[in-house]
Amino acid sequence: MDNVIDIQELTKQYKNADALSLDIQSLEIVRGEKFGIFGPNGAGKTTLISILCGIIEPTTGSAHYHLDGDHHSVKSVLTSIGFVPQDFAFYPELTPVQNLLYFGRLYDIPKVNLLQKIDYLLDSVGLMHVKRKKINTFSGGMKRRINLAIGLINDPKILFLDEPTVGVDVQSKVAIFRLLDELNAKGTTIIYTSHHLKEAEDFCDRIALLDHGKIIKIGSLSGLLSSNSMTNLEELLISLTGNTLRD
Amino acid sequence: MRKLRASIIKEIQLILQDRVGLLLMYLMPILLVFIITIVQDSAFKLVKDNQLDLLVVNKDKGELGEKFTAILEKTGNFNLEKDPKADLKSIKGLTIEKQKLISIYIPENFSQNMSGNAQHLTKIMLTEFGMIDENSPSSESVKNEIQLFYDPVLQENFRFTLVNNLQTVLNSMENAQMVEQIFKEMGYDEIPEKIKKQLSQKQTEIKITSASNSLGGSIPNSTQHNVPAWSIFAMFFMVISLGGNLVKERLSGSFIRLQTIPSAFILTIWSKMVVYLFVALSQLAILFSIGVYLFPYLSLPQLAIPASILQLFVVSFLSAMAAISYSILVGTYAKTQEQANGFGSISIIMFAAIGGIWVPLFVMPDYLQTIAKLSPLHWCMEGFYTIFLKNGEWNQLTGPIIYLLLFTFACQFLTFIKLRIQNYI
Repeated sequence: MDNVIDIQELTKQYKNADALSLDIQSLEIVRGEKFGIFGPNGAGKTTLISILCGIIEPTTGSAHYHLDGDHHSVKSVLTSIGFVPQDFAFYPELTPVQNLLYFGRLYDIPKVNLLQKIDYLLDSVGLMHVKRKKINTFSGGMKRRINLAIGLINDPKILFLDEPTVGVDVQSKVAIFRLLDELNAKGTTIIYTSHHLKEAEDFCDRIALLDHGKIIKIGSLSGLLSSNSMTNLEELLISLTGNTLRD
Repeated sequence: MRKLRASIIKEIQLILQDRVGLLLMYLMPILLVFIITIVQDSAFKLVKDNQLDLLVVNKDKGELGEKFTAILEKTGNFNLEKDPKADLKSIKGLTIEKQKLISIYIPENFSQNMSGNAQHLTKIMLTEFGMIDENSPSSESVKNEIQLFYDPVLQENFRFTLVNNLQTVLNSMENAQMVEQIFKEMGYDEIPEKIKKQLSQKQTEIKITSASNSLGGSIPNSTQHNVPAWSIFAMFFMVISLGGNLVKERLSGSFIRLQTIPSAFILTIWSKMVVYLFVALSQLAILFSIGVYLFPYLSLPQLAIPASILQLFVVSFLSAMAAISYSILVGTYAKTQEQANGFGSISIIMFAAIGGIWVPLFVMPDYLQTIAKLSPLHWCMEGFYTIFLKNGEWNQLTGPIIYLLLFTFACQFLTFIKLRIQNYI
């Protein structure tokens, strides 16, 4: 297998927490796949993505990236990673162009390429007509789309998406997934987490189900459903994690 | 460098969008400097140049009451109104009714008592010298008084100055009475003209000189005190804009994205420092320019710029860096924007209060004067006063420079620790 990320004995225990928030013995993510991470609240999805993006440090263990034939730590592959957090991570007082220019320059992208890239991204997410309007005047769906566009400004080889479609209308959702499929077709590995399990069924090649910080199931959707005699991901998740409400 | 430039451009774009922050950083200090300088200048002029409204009720049957009133009028310090019909019972009410800040009641035996006391003292002196017989008839010493009524709004320091001035006039009248009495006892009808002329002249002048190295002979005025002091206060108030902006950015999620971009976070902090350094220095430049060019048109004293521009730049730069580092520290440790704004502004007000911005340090109790040394605003003010008021040498600036450097490093170190713990850098 051509893995892009190898995780070995990765744990995270937050300060003042009694238990581990993440405890993964082994996980491999294959180059070019669309990998979904699902689980109830507090399962450890955001913690895993935060470690993989270098936002937080693991308590033990490590994740290795395989880019350009070499092993890398997360800090050395940051320029090849794209991250679209669940929270809006941009400056709402500025316009889409100002935001994209700023984040693009932080990646040291040459100006000519950057301007072309900005036009391409704004066109792809349908925001070309408002490129010089302040983002704080945008609807929730428009904000979600610019949040995605900023995460793509550096042409990432690995893209992390944390709930990219929360609060968006069906039109925005279709546009977002069309763009993600396009990127994936060009070779971008996508690691995706969401509570919209129907979306995941349609989008992901492979999924991992997390609960209490551990991977409880991993595989292709069809394989997981058939081996557990379930018809959809929601049924499978409830059967594995129970009906108890989570904090 | 390109990344830093991008961060600086972004900061400028953000700051230009923050209209309230801009008003707080630029308009508020201008208003503060104007208001405080005008108020302090007026208070000074109230004593020095302006005329205090004064009501005089003279019931004296002799001529000294009238003479006392005439001397007060001649000083030019009072807008004097006489009301011979008023009495001791009505004078209080009249003071308020006629909107006088003070009223003076001269009793009917004022001249008699003053002359009698002068005669009594003269007799003691001449007896002592053996010039007259101690059994010769003389009046006894009696208590002589005038009464002063004041509007309660008149502050204690004004009252104190006024009473001192009145006492000086009364003392000179008593002395004149005594000299006149001595000449009478010596057989003169009146004091010889040349002696009278000599007595009316001040024998000892008080020459007022500032203990500074050289300010072109000018005496420090309210502008020279207020413009630097309130500029410092305003500069530190950037904590509301910068500290709040930092918390807002952190909570908005943009900081999380910055953590996934190499070296972006530290560049963000540096770019904030560069932009706010420009803001702080431009605040000072604007306020100093107003002091130099605009104040004279408003009949306020002109700000005299220190001779050493290098000293002015060094003190301004270090003060700005202290203000910026403190604001970033507050913004880093505050959990919410409200916390940053509340704690930031209250701490600056406290630093200003104990640092001597509002009340001069020398009037504070000893323990507060010691605590004042913990306030960065105190050291900024020390630095500015050394160059603006004393035209001081570099060695006089050593204390402020060392303290401000230490304060800046301490704030930046604590910021680094917190950001490191949070894995931002």
